[in-house]
Amino acid sequence: MTRVCIVLAVALVSVLFGMADMAVVSQKLQAIKNDGNWHVAFRNLSREQEAVLAARPEVEQTAWYDVVNYRLDQGYRIGGTETVICGMEEAFLEIMSCQIEEGRFPEEENEAILTKGARTRLGLKTGDTVALALPDGKSAELTVSGFAGDTAMLTDKDAFGVFVNRGAFGRLSPGKPEESPDGMIYTRFVPRCSIQRAIADIQTQLGLEEGQAPQNARLLGLMGQSSDNFIQGLYLVAAVLAVLVIVAGILMITGSLNSNIAQRTGFFGMLRCLGATPGQVRRFVLLEALDWCKMAVPAGLLLSVVVVWALCTFLRVLNPVWFGEMPAFGVSLGGICAGAVLGVVTVLLAAQSPAKKAARVSPLTAVSGNAGGVHAAKCAASTGIFGVETALGVHHARGSRKNFWLMTGSFAFTIILFLSFSASIDFMNHAVTALKPYTPDLSVVSPDNTCSVPAGLAAELSQNPAVKRAYGRRFAYNVPVLLDGQEGYVNLISYETHQFAWAKDMLVEGELESVENGSAVMIGYAYAGGNLLKPGSVISLQRTGNASGDMNAEGDALDAVEIGVAAVLSECPFDRVEGVETVICSEALFERLTGQTDYTVLDVQLNRSATDQDVEQIRQMAGDGFLFSDKRQKNREGQSAWYSYAVFLYGFLAVIALIAGFNIVNSIAMSVSARIRQYGAMRAVGMENGQLVRMVAAEALTYACAGVAAGGIVGLWLHHFVFTYMVTVRWGDAWYLPVRYIVIILSVVAVSVFLAIIGPARRIRRMSIVDTIGDC
Amino acid sequence: MEILKVQNLCKTYGRGEAQVRALKDVSFSMQKGEFAAVIGESGSGKSTLLNCIGGLDLPTAGSVWLDGEELFAMPEKRRTVFRRRNIGFVFQSFHLIEELNVEQNIVFPLLLDHKKPDRERVEDILEVLGLKERRRHLPGQLSGGQQQRVAIGRALITRPALVLADEPTGNLDSKNSRDVMDLLLQASRKYQQTVLMITHNANLSASADRVFRVADGVLHELGREG
Repeated sequence: MTRVCIVLAVALVSVLFGMADMAVVSQKLQAIKNDGNWHVAFRNLSREQEAVLAARPEVEQTAWYDVVNYRLDQGYRIGGTETVICGMEEAFLEIMSCQIEEGRFPEEENEAILTKGARTRLGLKTGDTVALALPDGKSAELTVSGFAGDTAMLTDKDAFGVFVNRGAFGRLSPGKPEESPDGMIYTRFVPRCSIQRAIADIQTQLGLEEGQAPQNARLLGLMGQSSDNFIQGLYLVAAVLAVLVIVAGILMITGSLNSNIAQRTGFFGMLRCLGATPGQVRRFVLLEALDWCKMAVPAGLLLSVVVVWALCTFLRVLNPVWFGEMPAFGVSLGGICAGAVLGVVTVLLAAQSPAKKAARVSPLTAVSGNAGGVHAAKCAASTGIFGVETALGVHHARGSRKNFWLMTGSFAFTIILFLSFSASIDFMNHAVTALKPYTPDLSVVSPDNTCSVPAGLAAELSQNPAVKRAYGRRFAYNVPVLLDGQEGYVNLISYETHQFAWAKDMLVEGELESVENGSAVMIGYAYAGGNLLKPGSVISLQRTGNASGDMNAEGDALDAVEIGVAAVLSECPFDRVEGVETVICSEALFERLTGQTDYTVLDVQLNRSATDQDVEQIRQMAGDGFLFSDKRQKNREGQSAWYSYAVFLYGFLAVIALIAGFNIVNSIAMSVSARIRQYGAMRAVGMENGQLVRMVAAEALTYACAGVAAGGIVGLWLHHFVFTYMVTVRWGDAWYLPVRYIVIILSVVAVSVFLAIIGPARRIRRMSIVDTIGDC
Repeated sequence: MEILKVQNLCKTYGRGEAQVRALKDVSFSMQKGEFAAVIGESGSGKSTLLNCIGGLDLPTAGSVWLDGEELFAMPEKRRTVFRRRNIGFVFQSFHLIEELNVEQNIVFPLLLDHKKPDRERVEDILEVLGLKERRRHLPGQLSGGQQQRVAIGRALITRPALVLADEPTGNLDSKNSRDVMDLLLQASRKYQQTVLMITHNANLSASADRVFRVADGVLHELGREG
């Protein structure tokens, strides 16, 4: 059993570090895929400086890049669509891991690569010519040399991208002559180079100012070449978790060794009889523990490698987009070393107390035969209430007060850890961008922010088989109002059924019914109490009947309406402008107040099977005259950060739950081992197997109930504390009873108790009475 | 009245060259109220005989009839219940339950049966054993002789058909050994209890009604009183 404990402790530590390592490898590959394989980009270098940079021995590759019309406000258009112009050297594509999907890099000044969106929407093919409208009203003819993939920004803003070579870029952006010190030189250093030192050297040599050399912080961090980085945080968390696992491991191994020593008291007494000194007995126990490490540590490491492979495979299968870069059969040397070293250290630490205990065994123990493995009982079991087997089980658990508190504390420790840590899941759900239920895949937006998107389009789009749901919002900006008697402005937004349904999960105060039926409005919770409004506040505004929805415009003032604020949401998916409150109402109320029936924004969520062709069809259904925003790629990229955190947090929760489970199973198995001789005697005098199993179950349940009670009370208090400081203060969510996590940890405890009983039950059934009691 | 009948009992351990025949065709019977002693060298097979008669170990062949019931024809669960109701055990190492006091240890077989102990019977046994003053004591608070007396009380509480005692005085000094023997004899006489006892001590076997000797797994009856 002690060997099993060592195997588990080593495996847990090794898996933690191994997974952290795999996560780093995966993040690194993902970072290269998303942000490019560059370390630093030097801004505004002259051609001479570029040459000096490229000649340095530590520089592996450099590539020039520049862009115009990035904000889509400079007037570069193809076929009326805003177009971003990117000038680059061919090496830039390699650095950015960007593949030309069709054709080749533009060699001539009149050639260009276009993004996929342009190919689809303009029906282009390689060799075609397109006219690029320039800001000065002229146009440039470009021959399509190939096509590249879209970026999240381009699809979100419904824009095209054009990639040209350095010469062409100078021709298309007359404000940026070829020799002007503009653009960026993306630079990659050779492996094993001290990047920070090299950057500092280059900055000094080229006389660059602060801010002229932005770094790829994420990649450098993942390479351990940055002081402010994600990876250091990741390893720090892994180290903290490893300490927790080591504590749990030490408790587990110490308990097991103590039980082992207690069962061999007679043997240690005999060693003392034969002349061994207490020091020799102590060394004997320590060496014996180290000897177990010979088999248990490699077994634990092997187990960890298999578990890491299984977890990586699971994550790859779970989501190939986000975890596709994770190595399937990677071996983490760091994880293995950490597991091996910490495993041996844990065993040595855990063996100290049992070794001292063994050294204290008196030689008299061996000759007197008084070498029982179980603590002498201090009081009799109470057989009055339960059956004798249940009473004995409960008494076995509570017999030794020290042991009872150790076991209860050990169970409670993992439950407390689980419950308090589960609050960080809520923090993550708020803090890290994840796909909210209301996140759209596509949006049809009024170009001038008026209510001009036909309301009927929502129903029309909903009929499309690729569309899961379509829902719109009406906006009225800067509406002059009286807020509790004070003059102010609000942005009025309408919600329909779907959005009200999602709002229910974000409700922190008040009720939604009156908002939904149009008799009240709701507001979003603002950090640090920035809201002027609160539930019960009254907003008075003039009803208008104009068509624009802009309440500042001259409208037909009808009459003053007073509306109360009935609810507060934890999150409001709209940015708050200082001095302007965001107020959400029903469509009916919006129409009553503004006379507007059409939408400003129409959001569309797609079915999983939706294809690019479906999106194109929806674009055509929406028609021209609106901004069509394709957010799918942006959503995909945003989701990856959430997944990384989620895997880490849920992984740790799983490890805690596993430790809780092992602890329970292990403790009961050890208790049964210590009392097996007594069980044999009980069987001899007529106790049935079933009664013995009930006795073990009563013991396990006593520990579990006490642990759950203590762990539950302290754990919930800590959950409340962590939740209040991490979530309530920032987002206003009221603390809630984490029923889901309570159910999970209770299920883990229940399953563990069940497993803890199964093993001993099988052992008891196979037990030979004669062999067990020994002297019959 | 015949209470125990052992027929052609054989027990073999191991296989091939390592095979050991611990019991060879053992047959004998005992009448109600008889006190029999089994003597023999260490390793002769006497404990194996006791374990098989008590249903703690399964014989390789043969049968054991106790109070008209064949022990090994019963399924394991029924045999366990039969054992706690019809066989009392007294072990050399006492095997008391550390967490139960003297009285609870004595009534333990009844508690396993979820039966309410007969107060008069319990008081009578405590009186006979001289443990009335120590009824609330835990085994750890008793001397070896007192612990063995508790074990005898536990063996007698169900009025079993047979009491099996395996070296009951093996861990005791001569005075306590004498006391324990007296108690077993008294039980046999007072409660008409059938007792089968293993002992090394030839002096102790002298008090028995019948004496058997086991040598190399073969049982011989050495003599019968009267």
